[in-house]
Amino acid sequence: MAQIFSEKANRLAFYGAVGAPLSLVLVVGGFWYYGSPKYTDVGYMPRQPIPYSHRLHVGQLGLDCRYCHASVEVSPVANIPPSQVCMNCHKLIQRESPKLEPLRESLGTGMPIPWIRVHNLPDYAYFDHRPHLRAGVGCVECHGRVDQMEEVVQVEPLSMSWCLDCHRNPAPHLRPPEEITNLRWIPPEDQPEIAQRLIEELALHPPTDCTGCHR
Amino acid sequence: MSGRNRDFGYWRSLDQLAGEASAREFSEREFPENAWQPPEGLTRREMLALLGASISLAGLTACRRPVEQIVPFVQAPEGFFPGVPERYATTMPFGLHAYGLLVESNDGRPTKIEGNELHPATRGGTSAWMQASILGLYDPDRSRSPRRGTERTTRDAFLAAWKERAPALRERRGRGLAWLTEAFASPTLARLAAELRTRFPEALWVAYEPASEEQLYRGVALATGRVLQPVFHLDRADVVLAVESDFLVGDPEAVRWARDFADRRRMRSPQDTPNRLYVVESTYSATGASADHRLPMRRGEMGVFLLALAAELAAQGASGVVPAPVPGMLPEETRRWIRALARDLLARRGRAVILVGPSLPPQVHAAALALNAALGAMGTALGWCELRDAALPERGALATLAEAMHAGSVDTLVILGGNPVYNAPADLAFAEALAKVEFSVHLSERFDETSQRTTWHLNRAHYLEAWGDARAVGGHLSVTQPLIEPLFGGTTDAELLALLLRDEPARGYELVRETWRGILEGGDFERRWQRVLHDGVLEDSALPEIVPEVRGDTTLALARELQAPSAGPELVFTPSYAVWDGRFANLAWLQELPDPVTKLTWDNAALVSPRTAARLGLETGRVVRLRAAGRELQIPVFVLPGQHDQTVTVALGYGRSAAGRVGNGVGVDAYALRTLEGFDRIEGIELEPTAQVRPLASTQDHWQIDPLGARERDRRVAQLYREATLAEYRRDPGFVRHHDALRIPLESIYPDHDYSRGYQWGMVIDLGACVGCNACVVACQSENNIPVVGKEQVRRGREMQWLRVDRYFAGEPEAPRRMLFQPIPCMHCENAPCEQVCPVAATVHDAEGLNGMVYNRCIGTRYCLNNCPYKVRRFNFFNFTKYTPELLRMANNPDVTVRSRGVMEKCTYCTQRIQEAKWRAKEEGRAIRDGELQTACQQACPTRAIEFGNLNDPESRVALLKQHERNYVLLEEMNNRPRTSYLARVRNPNPEIGDA
Repeated sequence: MAQIFSEKANRLAFYGAVGAPLSLVLVVGGFWYYGSPKYTDVGYMPRQPIPYSHRLHVGQLGLDCRYCHASVEVSPVANIPPSQVCMNCHKLIQRESPKLEPLRESLGTGMPIPWIRVHNLPDYAYFDHRPHLRAGVGCVECHGRVDQMEEVVQVEPLSMSWCLDCHRNPAPHLRPPEEITNLRWIPPEDQPEIAQRLIEELALHPPTDCTGCHR
Repeated sequence: MSGRNRDFGYWRSLDQLAGEASAREFSEREFPENAWQPPEGLTRREMLALLGASISLAGLTACRRPVEQIVPFVQAPEGFFPGVPERYATTMPFGLHAYGLLVESNDGRPTKIEGNELHPATRGGTSAWMQASILGLYDPDRSRSPRRGTERTTRDAFLAAWKERAPALRERRGRGLAWLTEAFASPTLARLAAELRTRFPEALWVAYEPASEEQLYRGVALATGRVLQPVFHLDRADVVLAVESDFLVGDPEAVRWARDFADRRRMRSPQDTPNRLYVVESTYSATGASADHRLPMRRGEMGVFLLALAAELAAQGASGVVPAPVPGMLPEETRRWIRALARDLLARRGRAVILVGPSLPPQVHAAALALNAALGAMGTALGWCELRDAALPERGALATLAEAMHAGSVDTLVILGGNPVYNAPADLAFAEALAKVEFSVHLSERFDETSQRTTWHLNRAHYLEAWGDARAVGGHLSVTQPLIEPLFGGTTDAELLALLLRDEPARGYELVRETWRGILEGGDFERRWQRVLHDGVLEDSALPEIVPEVRGDTTLALARELQAPSAGPELVFTPSYAVWDGRFANLAWLQELPDPVTKLTWDNAALVSPRTAARLGLETGRVVRLRAAGRELQIPVFVLPGQHDQTVTVALGYGRSAAGRVGNGVGVDAYALRTLEGFDRIEGIELEPTAQVRPLASTQDHWQIDPLGARERDRRVAQLYREATLAEYRRDPGFVRHHDALRIPLESIYPDHDYSRGYQWGMVIDLGACVGCNACVVACQSENNIPVVGKEQVRRGREMQWLRVDRYFAGEPEAPRRMLFQPIPCMHCENAPCEQVCPVAATVHDAEGLNGMVYNRCIGTRYCLNNCPYKVRRFNFFNFTKYTPELLRMANNPDVTVRSRGVMEKCTYCTQRIQEAKWRAKEEGRAIRDGELQTACQQACPTRAIEFGNLNDPESRVALLKQHERNYVLLEEMNNRPRTSYLARVRNPNPEIGDA
């Protein structure tokens, strides 16, 4: 009677022994890398209805973040400016620009401009801008060098472990409150002392409990 | 305790006492019924298909990044910041009552209702109805446009039709025209109504309410010749007698009465003397639960009772009481009770008051008024003021109107609100009468039973989107200001009256301001107007209190009217605790809210006593034929301990056919039995059991704490509900400790957390102040986006309310001596059993002592609920929020996660409020002040029974209460160390009667 398994079948055990752990490592490693927010979220750059250039407005013209995102210090959310705010300048400058057509249309019809959210946290995580600004966490810490971006792109993973890294050791991310919107600020040599002073004066103890952000 | 009955102890339901399998199931099984049971309406196969589809789609959706838009303003209003909630004062009108509210608005959407501390009717508290009224605003089943017949049309079309009709009517001086309104107390409506009266002098004006205090006002008129409004000051009353009056919960003014009552009852130390409450009632009401002495009595005998009391008072030498012959004989036991009561009332002359329920005839009210005068209550515990700017409801006037309609002498009928086709007495045949009216218009929030039969329907604006004004009980004036533009362009009552008056549309804002120009005469109008809007009430607008002259023969008048009551069975009607007269039928929170007494959800039932049930062979759920005055109704029975043996009680407001998707077909329409004669009570009824059983969804056996072998463990395990009489408390101030039978040192194998620093949150619930009104439950539901699950799921024990109010009876089932309420939120144990069994650390402790629940980590093992001895965790068996209509989602709190299927959830001590308060304090560089931070349940509580705060602050109220001798925790022997504790109740029985 012929053998059911050929001689080659002997090697199956070997392949299995090597291949199974290998594929396990590949699958886990694959998820680890490709599933992490570092891969999935960093670099997210949706097309906005108006090609608004932060590089031009912030980097070259030097607008303060809070000129447009005015509620960032008093509200959990940093607002997107009403169409009217854009018109404060654009009724004088670049009045005919075709790029601003959606803006003029919005003011004409009264329909708002639907911007696409770039920095999007899951619905079960509650982020509040106010305490972060008060503590001296600069915009740049989470949003990157917006002043160099033609189109806004997500540069940090905004994952929970990334949040916790800072909450567990906030000192390296703190700056004097007057510099929070200064995207070009370079930490001076005495940054550790400044941070230490801020932590003590403002009684900073960022929550690391679940209830700090999840509710 | 001496007052505890050893044989029966505390129990929740008759089934539990009898050891019935149905009750045992809820305590013995992990989960009451198979967890895989799909919801009704989906077959198993459809369910599997759906499951398969959702699994295969789930993989795909996870790969796609959700694109979210941010939609800014085009022109932002000044001083408005997105994401920062705003609060506005407004007023919710309710018949002759007005509730001052503070409404939270998130980005333009009203989301949460709180009481206004400056307004006398709420003083910061709320009722379940006020809380739930936010759902009425976003109800997708609201009428969205005016209609002609059933066809959608516009308000302009109606105006054109009216203009055609108006000249002829004016010529006839209004003959053939009739107005039918709800009861109201509003200066603007009263002003427009007065103008319309002069314009159409011969028109018929009728106000009708299916449940109101009209008999009280008629009684007052009998006794004093004037229409006066009673204003109780229960904080000044040492002894309160409530006769068929549910003034602590069921009354429309209950929030106010309950607050005053609880303030007078609250005890700081054994030296304080709380007030004493006597209740005489036919059905066990929530007020009856707070009574120190309760006497079950047929509703038909209440007049006899008052006469007997008058006779007794006169016999004991009370001046000003004209003794009248008492028809019939009361049993000796009852007479003894009355004797003791009379002695107690007289001993506290000037500090005693009698309240009489609105379902009793005017003569009884008149007699009670005379007794109140004799007891010196006038001007002390009971004030009176003029009833101004009000439309007083009158059932007799409705009968006159219906007669005129039947006779064809009414050709034009304007109905403002209400729903007479549904809730008018059945013998008026209102629907048929309406068919004879040539031109009829109904202004209402939904295209309801009445709207469907009028020739025109106008959609009414909800009070949160309308301008209006109101007078509260006592006369305080306030404005209803809108928080949002009318969602469907509705019309307000005032706007419709003005339109009919002037033949052109008017704006509610202008109408109200016109009225208020008169009210705010003198001074800077704009400034004073802004002030009223800001405060939510006009300062010093209470009407002066008067002491009316009482006619001497008032009690005699009652005696002449009364005949000796027959002993036969009676049927009595009450408005529902959930849906009132039916107007709240489409508010799912209220439908699913367990009735305080029966714990029934999604249904009404004929309440019968255990003895009556045994006699007729009935059990809970058995459908009976209920025959009364030649009419018949099939209705399931609910056996309620404490119900009078000869009384069958049915709640009104159910069995709607045009309420909307939630309320249609829920329960049985009891209006079908109600007649003009038998409006409150029908004698000579018959109950005949049928073969049919209708399952009822009562939560009374759900979430039982420690039920296994309860009797055996009763000796060892501390009682969950602790109480004592005043005498016992004085003798032994530390009485709560005696329950802590296990005096072994409690040690944990887990390392202790360090709770000595920072904020440490804790809660104390005063069982002596809780009246079981359920406001906290709905407030929690509103604050925390808690879903509604429907009757089918409630029957399986899957209701989702985080906070429940356990109701226990004490004593024998045939004559229970007490009913007790115990609100149970999460205990936030320091040694939480739930945390120890979670395999994924989805429920963990935080540094401030909160037992946090992390939804995104939860994988739905439900071990935590199994291990929670307090049964306070709730599991999302299905994606209950998935099918919430878009419009209803606008009522969601944006600060709380909306949970999905397969996730456990529970009370968080309103962690979102804690976070916000912490930020506010930090911004101002201070610590959170005591009382600044309130949980939703605490804020809603009308009696201030819930205290919450920082335990590490030794001066905080909650920390002081934790030191109180009556403070105890549930299941202390388990060493869970709960952060929620209770203050034991102290009753104040009359020693002459003995402890009830």
